[in-house]
Amino acid sequence: MARLLVQLKLRLLVNALRSSNSAKISFIISSTFAVLLAIFTFLVLAGFRGKSTSVELTSVIFTVFAFGWLIAPILVFGVDSTLDPATLALYPLRTRPLAAGLLAASFTGFWPLANVIGLLGVTVGLASGGLGVTVAVVAVVLQVLFCIALSRFVTTSLASLLRSRRGRDLAAFLIIPLVALYEFFTQVVPKAVSEGKITAASFAGFDSWMRWLPPGLAAHAIQDASDGRPGMAFARLGALAAIIVVFVWLWVRSLGRALVTVDTTTQSSRVRGMRLPLAGLGLRGAVAARVWLYQRREPLSLVYWALVAVVTAAVSASSVFGHNHHPAVILASAVFGAAFVGIFHANSAAQTGPAFVLEATALGGSRDLRAYFSGQNLVLGVIGAPLVVAVCFALAAVAGDPGMGVEAAPVVLAGLGASLGLGNLFTVALPYPMVKRVGTPMLVAAPGYAAYRIGSVLGTLAGTAALAAPVIVGVNLAANGPDAIRIGVMLPCAAVYGFALAVAGVRLAAKVAESKIPELCQAALQTVT
Amino acid sequence: MSTPEGADTELPRYPGPAAPGTGGAAVVVRGLWKKFGAKEAVAGIDLKVAAGSLAGLVGPNGAGKTTSLSMMTGLLRPDSGQILVNGIDVWEDPPAAKAAIGVVPAEARLFDRLSGEELLEYAGRLRGLPAGQARSRAAQLLDVLDLAGDGKRLVADYSTGMRKKAALGCALIHNPPVLFLDEPLEGVDPVSGDVIRRLLTRFVESGSTVLFSSHVMELVEQVCDHVSIIDKGKIVVTGTIDEVRGGKTLQRAFIDLVGPRATDQEVLSWLGSSSS
Repeated sequence: MARLLVQLKLRLLVNALRSSNSAKISFIISSTFAVLLAIFTFLVLAGFRGKSTSVELTSVIFTVFAFGWLIAPILVFGVDSTLDPATLALYPLRTRPLAAGLLAASFTGFWPLANVIGLLGVTVGLASGGLGVTVAVVAVVLQVLFCIALSRFVTTSLASLLRSRRGRDLAAFLIIPLVALYEFFTQVVPKAVSEGKITAASFAGFDSWMRWLPPGLAAHAIQDASDGRPGMAFARLGALAAIIVVFVWLWVRSLGRALVTVDTTTQSSRVRGMRLPLAGLGLRGAVAARVWLYQRREPLSLVYWALVAVVTAAVSASSVFGHNHHPAVILASAVFGAAFVGIFHANSAAQTGPAFVLEATALGGSRDLRAYFSGQNLVLGVIGAPLVVAVCFALAAVAGDPGMGVEAAPVVLAGLGASLGLGNLFTVALPYPMVKRVGTPMLVAAPGYAAYRIGSVLGTLAGTAALAAPVIVGVNLAANGPDAIRIGVMLPCAAVYGFALAVAGVRLAAKVAESKIPELCQAALQTVT
Repeated sequence: MSTPEGADTELPRYPGPAAPGTGGAAVVVRGLWKKFGAKEAVAGIDLKVAAGSLAGLVGPNGAGKTTSLSMMTGLLRPDSGQILVNGIDVWEDPPAAKAAIGVVPAEARLFDRLSGEELLEYAGRLRGLPAGQARSRAAQLLDVLDLAGDGKRLVADYSTGMRKKAALGCALIHNPPVLFLDEPLEGVDPVSGDVIRRLLTRFVESGSTVLFSSHVMELVEQVCDHVSIIDKGKIVVTGTIDEVRGGKTLQRAFIDLVGPRATDQEVLSWLGSSSS
């Protein structure tokens, strides 16, 4: 069974390579990242040699890897068919050999190998002596085994939930903390490290409780063996092995249940209201009502808004949190935040997916299309403007200059009008099919359409910045003026200017769309959500 | 169909089947072509569907049924040819043509984050119905389609058959004179299928026209009065059901026309209980 499932995993990899050029490129990129991860991890772990806190830092790295193994399979569920017991439920397989086979399949591939090679950096960074190195090798194997057992147990236990709509919805939200963490580690941590706010000693406190968790047991076993305490080292490895056995046992039980348990897709939710809102606004109101409900009920919409907030904050985070505050950079946050509202919602026909056909069969002339685009923009503006302004105010408060929030607000309003109008234009000028990116709920350009996506993103970003530039200049000129000008004049002027830009975008887009409904439909129908 | 609010709002009616050049047909297709790369998906279709008829477009998988219907409903631009629906040229005046048709696509991909009630109301409001009327029609359609009990559930949680019925409701809510359906009963259970069949029959009895594609011959034989068989992008025969089947079952006539596939009895000699 183990051999068969390993062959299946290898066959799936080979088939992915043969299927298309984009799959080949994706595989090469993935493998390159795996190799880079292995090298990077090995060097980082090896670099701990001689440091007084090397065991604490090793525990942190081991824990990060365990966390990664826990999260990644939840995000990519449905992509790796060896992860879902339902794909094997039809075959007459006994649970134990099946579990052994699935475990072996988990070890197969570039990423598990990259994990083992990378973590072997502890043989240089933490281990010393023959016994230390031997224990280090065993500890790394047990650490990877623990990661696999943990991830298999969690994904199998959650399998029926993850197959359901609700489960996929919940998994979608994992992208938000991951992006926020990424931004934190790329924007804030380097700054804090360079300013001496984070040092190796910062992790000392973690170790008091982390040493009793499985990754900590593995790291401390290596240190014990290297320091001449073989008894303690073997005891820790034994404890780690026992924990792995428990997880494997729990997983086998969970697998046995999953093979004979129906999924939860039959459980459904009911909505409270029974009427679509905005009844008095005609077609514009109908579209706005649908888009409004989607902002609440569609996980991807919520993810987009959260990412708009993250992007807005991240643009100026390093300046805001550093020693030298540059509050003016919050204006850049305002531009980027506003631009990303348009970027995330451009190509709206394809983002709607095949359901767009229902709208397309009703949308005829330019008047209908104006109502259609303006209905969408109405909702995006009502949510986007206060969100981006609020984040700018929060950044200004953290930077110790709340007045910058007042100056950012007009830029947000102008930028938002520009980005929504540009988003409408790119929707009709460059429609392209989209697919859900592996491992995330985000929709990306289908293979062969990356240039469309890049053009749309860069075009919206540059266009928003250019069209918001007059307001930025005005804000700077009025910066030292009285509040009556800063708030009483700049804000309404920017609002009117932004509204005019959005209206211009809608009118132009409607005119172009009038003759491009079939192309928009094809982009929507080819979209795989 | 009446509503508690009184008389329905009448949507604009266009020239109709009596318009010049239609010959009393609700749908007229002349010389329709569509190529995808080197493949001719539709290779010169000519077709007339009489007003007030329930016509079937049947053919094997990949014959060009969906492509043809997509072009007839203004969702796919043809390479050449003319399509008149109720006397309106679909590609000369798309807004007018769209107002006269209802469409149920093959894959009923709907706004699945709306409830059934919200979805049908949305479809009605998209078609220009006042909100109150869209709401009352939605409630009546859900009732007739046996979805009233699920009206507050998200469409995402509907089964395939329920989605097909909801899609049919969306296509009918503005009472179009011509209805296009692509594989309307695929994945639908017999009870739901019967509901859809009865609704279509009632719709046609009122003088409206239905053209639907299918590869289920029994269904076409039961409900249609006219049928056209399409194969490799061409209409190979068209007429009343009796004319097309010529004394045989429609299934037999279809296989005779499209060509039976080779049997593999020799190759699969191991298959079956009596084999060793």
